[in-house]
Amino acid sequence: MARTLAMFTDTSLCIGCRACQVACKQWNELGMEAPEWTGTYQNHAHFTDQTYRLVRFIEEPKPTGDLAWLLMSDVCKHCAEAGCLEACPTGAIYRTEFGTVNINQDVCNGCRYCVASCPFGVVAFNEESGTAKKCTFCNDRIHNGLGPACAKACPTDSIQFGFRDELVARAQKRVETLKGMGFKEAQLYGADGKGFLGGLNAFFLLLSKPSTYNLPDSPKLPQRNIVADSLLSIGSALVVGLGALLAFRERGNGGGDA
Amino acid sequence: MLKTPEWEMMIVWYFFLGGIAGGAYFTAAIADNFGSARDGAVARIGYLLSLPLTLVCGILLVADLGLPLRFLNMLGTFAFWNPMSIGAWGIGVFGAFTFVSSVLSFSASADRVALRRKVGLVGSIFGFFLASYTGVLLGGTALPFWGEARLMGALFLASGASTGMAAISLILFLTGGASGEGFGKIKKADRYSMLIEIVVLAIFLGVLGSAARPIVTGHMAPLFWGGLIGLGLVVPLALEFVGKRARVLTAVSAVLVLVGGFILRYVMLMSVQA
Repeated sequence: MARTLAMFTDTSLCIGCRACQVACKQWNELGMEAPEWTGTYQNHAHFTDQTYRLVRFIEEPKPTGDLAWLLMSDVCKHCAEAGCLEACPTGAIYRTEFGTVNINQDVCNGCRYCVASCPFGVVAFNEESGTAKKCTFCNDRIHNGLGPACAKACPTDSIQFGFRDELVARAQKRVETLKGMGFKEAQLYGADGKGFLGGLNAFFLLLSKPSTYNLPDSPKLPQRNIVADSLLSIGSALVVGLGALLAFRERGNGGGDA
Repeated sequence: MLKTPEWEMMIVWYFFLGGIAGGAYFTAAIADNFGSARDGAVARIGYLLSLPLTLVCGILLVADLGLPLRFLNMLGTFAFWNPMSIGAWGIGVFGAFTFVSSVLSFSASADRVALRRKVGLVGSIFGFFLASYTGVLLGGTALPFWGEARLMGALFLASGASTGMAAISLILFLTGGASGEGFGKIKKADRYSMLIEIVVLAIFLGVLGSAARPIVTGHMAPLFWGGLIGLGLVVPLALEFVGKRARVLTAVSAVLVLVGGFILRYVMLMSVQA
């Protein structure tokens, strides 16, 4: 495998211009969607099959009574342990040699299991193509020496593209700088390769706790429940089977009470 | 913000009919292997019922795909840890067992009966699988309501058993077999399954706690409490007791169990989807 590529989204630099969102739509030829009123400048409320990059506009009440205006360009996290990839029954969802997660549109058959298996609600179903869609990490661009369209378009370097190890080191320095400037809650989200989901290949610098950004504090691989659920099913099968066995084994008294 | 897969009525029907198919088959195999010769009707109905239902299940599953013609892509991989993948394989293998058992159920020759019993025992493993894996499949998603209790598979299995047995007893009743010995036994087995289902459901709700809101207090709460718990479990059990000597009441009870089984799949699937 080639050296892992990553995107580092430093929300402290985001100005909410949505150039990333537009560049993503243009490069990936995503259709337009009717705007919706979300209560803020944010459009749309969630990722869709036509929106792979989404700038979130968040107003966080501060102890002083003011509102902190937090901006965050959100995207598929390209998890090192990816729920969508584990869920895919056709092999359409695969990991590239750069560590990113992609959906092969020629193989996906639209079962939608990945949609329910993403801990971040990223993967969306497209009715027209009949397949699942999400950020491709501009798979075509990174295989031709270009960075993702969103990172290229970002005017403030809030979205940075590069080798993961280099970006993590840069991000850690940036957190220290921000803390020194008084941003006490500045923290990295998904940068730790030993942390949740084995680390995110699209990781973030946040200025507040993850839940403020509608991110789970500690996302887990959904497949973790399968073993226990299966074992309890087998236990249930044994009890049910035993019940039926007892009902049918009875002899001599006319088969019970009926 | 988590997304739901927007699986709709075809998948509700698939979960419901798959439960009946699996439940009817393993009940038939148990009656075939451990019951008396007079339980033959139960075994035959169970085997013969599971075959067409499994066929319908397969059709529903393919038709629900975004691109049905790419169904075969699921058979290009085998991921033993992935319920969606082994489900596609499992339903095919189970379908083959229902076919063989159905064919063998027409023969009375001793060696074919012996073979049918053995086939039934092995096929039962896949029957249990079909009745329960759909629950495990839901449990393996990111949605807390489906996954956190880790009991969806056990719950679907108990419901598959109770609906499969109810379906067999209803067919026995409608074909005039209600006076036989097998009818009493299948009703008894059905009561056991319903009691197990109630216990599993109670634990399921207890473990989920506030995550059970979608069915306990949400907009589907009336359907859950009235339809599943009331009409689908409590009333049928009560009818069984008052209806011991009136077989038509036990037939009504079987219909209600089937309705309850459908409501179970419906509320579990639809209450968390838009």
